[in-house]
Amino acid sequence: MTPTQIKSHSHPIIVAENLAKTVLTAEGTLHILSSIDLIINSGESIAIIGESGSGKSTLIGLLAGLDTSTSGSISLNGLDITQMNEDGRAAIRNELIGFVFQSFQLLQGLTALENVMLPLELRGDKKAKAIASRLLERVGLAHRLSHTPKQLSGGEQQRVALARAFATQPKILFADEPTGNLDSKTGASIIDLLFELNSENQTTLILVTHDAHLAARCERTIKIEAGQQV
Amino acid sequence: MNLSRFNLALRLLWRDSRSGELTILIIALLIAVTSSTAISLFSDRLQRTMTLQAAEFLAADLVIACPTPIPTDWQSRAKQLNLTLAQTVEFPSVLIEHDELLLAGVKAVSSSYPLRGLLKTTGADYNSETITHAGPEAGRVWVEKRILSALKLNIGDSLTVGEKPLTISNIITYEPDKKGDLYSFSPRVMMNDADLTATGIIQPGSHVHYFFQFSGDQEAIVNFKQWLQPQLTPSQKIMDIHEDRPELGTALIRAERYLGLSSILVILISGVAIAMATGRYTQRHFNATALLRCLGCQQREILWLYCSQFLILGLLTSAIGCLLGWFAQRGLFKLLKDLLPQQIANPNLSALGFGFSIGIIVLLAFALPPILRLKNVAPLRVLRQDLEPLPISAWFVYSLSITIIGLLIWRYTTDVKMTATVLGTGLITLLVLSVLIYGLLNLIASLVPKMSLTWRFGLQGLIRNRQATISQILAFSLTLAAMLLSFTVRTDLINNWQQQLPENAPNHFALNIFPEQQLAFKADLQQDAIQGSQFYPVVRGRLTKINHTPVQKFVSKDSQGDNATHRELSLTWTKELPEDNKLVAGQWWTPTQTVSVSVEQKLADNLKINLGDLLTFSIDNQLVYATVTSLRALKWDTMKPNFYMVFSPGSLDAFPSTYITSFYLPEAKKDLLNTLVKKYPSTTVLEVDLILKQFKTLLKQLTQAINYLLYFALMAGFTVLFAAVYATLDNRIYEGTLMRTFGANRKFLRKTQWIEFGVLGLISGFLAVIIAEAILYALYTRVMAIEYQPNLTLSLIVPVISALFVSLVGLLGVKQVLNRPPIHVLRGL
Ligand SMILES: Nc1ncnc2c1ncn2[C@@H]1O[C@H](COP(=O)(O)OP(=O)(O)OP(=O)(O)O)[C@@H](O)[C@H]1O
Ligand SMILES: [Mg+2]
Repeated sequence: MTPTQIKSHSHPIIVAENLAKTVLTAEGTLHILSSIDLIINSGESIAIIGESGSGKSTLIGLLAGLDTSTSGSISLNGLDITQMNEDGRAAIRNELIGFVFQSFQLLQGLTALENVMLPLELRGDKKAKAIASRLLERVGLAHRLSHTPKQLSGGEQQRVALARAFATQPKILFADEPTGNLDSKTGASIIDLLFELNSENQTTLILVTHDAHLAARCERTIKIEAGQQV
Repeated sequence: MNLSRFNLALRLLWRDSRSGELTILIIALLIAVTSSTAISLFSDRLQRTMTLQAAEFLAADLVIACPTPIPTDWQSRAKQLNLTLAQTVEFPSVLIEHDELLLAGVKAVSSSYPLRGLLKTTGADYNSETITHAGPEAGRVWVEKRILSALKLNIGDSLTVGEKPLTISNIITYEPDKKGDLYSFSPRVMMNDADLTATGIIQPGSHVHYFFQFSGDQEAIVNFKQWLQPQLTPSQKIMDIHEDRPELGTALIRAERYLGLSSILVILISGVAIAMATGRYTQRHFNATALLRCLGCQQREILWLYCSQFLILGLLTSAIGCLLGWFAQRGLFKLLKDLLPQQIANPNLSALGFGFSIGIIVLLAFALPPILRLKNVAPLRVLRQDLEPLPISAWFVYSLSITIIGLLIWRYTTDVKMTATVLGTGLITLLVLSVLIYGLLNLIASLVPKMSLTWRFGLQGLIRNRQATISQILAFSLTLAAMLLSFTVRTDLINNWQQQLPENAPNHFALNIFPEQQLAFKADLQQDAIQGSQFYPVVRGRLTKINHTPVQKFVSKDSQGDNATHRELSLTWTKELPEDNKLVAGQWWTPTQTVSVSVEQKLADNLKINLGDLLTFSIDNQLVYATVTSLRALKWDTMKPNFYMVFSPGSLDAFPSTYITSFYLPEAKKDLLNTLVKKYPSTTVLEVDLILKQFKTLLKQLTQAINYLLYFALMAGFTVLFAAVYATLDNRIYEGTLMRTFGANRKFLRKTQWIEFGVLGLISGFLAVIIAEAILYALYTRVMAIEYQPNLTLSLIVPVISALFVSLVGLLGVKQVLNRPPIHVLRGL
């Protein structure tokens, strides 16, 4: 499949220069990522592929500001997040970024609606409830608003996670193997939904996947091998 | 035993302990064992030391006082029980030397006297006191200094007692069992009982007091006492440490009860921590267990696997705890070295064993129920994470902990009914509290939607999982209540003691003051700025009949009434109600012509005297009839003159009377005594300052000991709070991280945490105050016999402190996680 719509790649939204991540372990220094250079334009969809353990999750964790790099710089929408503290990055995340995780990561104590409202409320959006219900309706869960994650199937939980990711109309969406915990049929429907929402919102999509078919649906593929970009 | 399984258990335990998951459990268990070992060792040693010390006041563990020798088979019975025997005979005797005449209190002692305590004497130089453990040898006599000056004698001179001349070898300065009996006071002459017959004083019908003294194993003493009791005649009286010195007895009993109470509280508090820590441990092992079951482990094997881990853990930790407890206890004694008597009872191995077994028992009671839950983990959980094992039957969990708590309480109270009452009340309280908290949470839930975002998120943390919140608040409030109890009881106990013996409590009594000397005596005291109590007139008399029935009919053996009817009473009259007396029934004097009397309440109870009864007194061989118009309660230990019978003014005018008073004489003014004794030769001054000083030291020791126990309880309490907050952190950390992923900043999260923990602490604090006050009320009125007064300041401060503490611990727990990049947390899941 090809992208349904050709976007004007107006300006770079993610710029990473000479990015490296090392951790100290009992056996010594472990280089997880080294010399990564990336420019991702607004509205682009990118697939990150690579073997297990190659450093994909680490990379998007850095790009999304969930982790700090050992060296190099990352700027999101022109702002250098490597110079920011945790709260600064949190503000950027809230403003620019949406996430979808392999294991859904919904708050167990909250209902589907409350989960989707969470990022909206955190930015003080007064219309949180209306927006969240509309999005849940959009992902086909209009009738499950008051259900908690335990009462939902995996596919349904990931739909809630999608609704939550798009609730703040983020400029960038990071998805780390969003179908990894789902059967292929459910996974496919989630991916379709993801791409639909993506094109509706003109979001920049960074998708980590093992699936070559899925990667092919993206405009560009970045391959990581043993912490190096190839 | 399957060795490879055992190895697996060991290996898993090793992993778990290294990964730090069991740390809190180990700490809590360690605290329970350490503190209960230390408390049980310490209080056991202290109690035995105190008992020994108290026994000194009697110079024995048990004494039979009687006017004639006891049957010989009593003595053989005592020997059979391996008791040590001693005997003293006391009688008044007029000494005549150098044409001077003096009434002395002679005491003839057997060679084994004193069985407890010691004697102090000085030689001719007066200044170096010698401590001895035996009285004078035959042919020798020890006298009080006053005797030498009064009879113009010196050490080495001969003193004739009755018909027997004896050589004065020492001046006696201290004897342990000197009695404070007001009218038997006269200077001491102590001789060996081998010389007794030669004095010729002991004749049939002569006025002599025999004291048969016994010491030995506590069990044997109790045994002996029980054997004796039914055989006693009315004139034979048993004295032992708990009965003979009521003020000392109550202090000891209260201290013992406090020690017991603290022990239970510390154990319970630690138990709560262990339960919470194990709960968390269990939850973290659901997945691993599911995997093991998948790999083919049977339920029984799973159970065995974890139980053996905990058993190993329990044994190791308890052993270490015992060791620590032993050192802690030694440290305590070292700290208290200056206060405690030189000789301290040895540590008792069974007290050490108790600490150890507490470790195992507490683990069993509080860790087993959550562990048992692991047995129920379904293998299917490997596929469906949300499959939580059923909790173990509540019936089982509760009955297990209740049984064990009940056993603990029973161990200290040894009273089935009381244990049942305590447990029953506790259960009902828990139930009521749970309902109360549930209602409160519902109320909060209904208010939440209208609140600001921060408050909403903070409070949602509480109402999201109500069941967990309820048990958390219960744990917090029970722990806090326990700490509060320990603190308040201690404070009240110590205040009570201090009130009982204020700095300036009278330490001298003056008796036999003639009426015409009363004013002069008063003036002399005032002139030297000596604080004295009221002067009371005294007439000696005997209560003979109650409503025309001989009083003996009302008397039960060995009771206070027995005491009061077998000897002359001091009768007095006053216009006003004496200070420290409280009217409990009837009215103080109304202007009538009849002779009225006010009776002390306990004596009245004992003799079944009621208002309106007609009492017959025999005074000076005349009969006096008096109507009971009021009953009084009084404090016996105030060191002021106290009277069983107070007459209306004028009732006893026909009889000769003397006056009695008590006053506080500071050590620096002790010389005044000589002046007084010279100026009022007929007046007897009774010095109780030494006894008082001893008593005060004792109370100080108890106070110190109790303080240390409090620190234990507080330490345990804070650890539990810490453990409890930590046990619930996992979920909070996860949620906080996720919120951060979506852009919540740390300030916002910190605020919500403050709100959540703060409200949690506040509610727990308030409940704790309610629980503690309720228990205090019951405890004071039923067990300790201290007046109950609610403490308002504390009731307000505790919730605030609790809120602050819980918030601080909570924030401390989440703090480092707040600063870590969120990905670490998400990865860790
Ligand atoms: N904090 C850390 N400490 C030690 N090693 C780490 C840490 N974080 C990541 N690694 C290691 O870095 C490597 C890359 O991890 P990462 O999770 O990025 O891989 P991945 O490409 O996402 O793999 P997968 O496809 O299996 O999810 C792995 O070998 C991992 O074990
Ligand atoms: Mg990954």
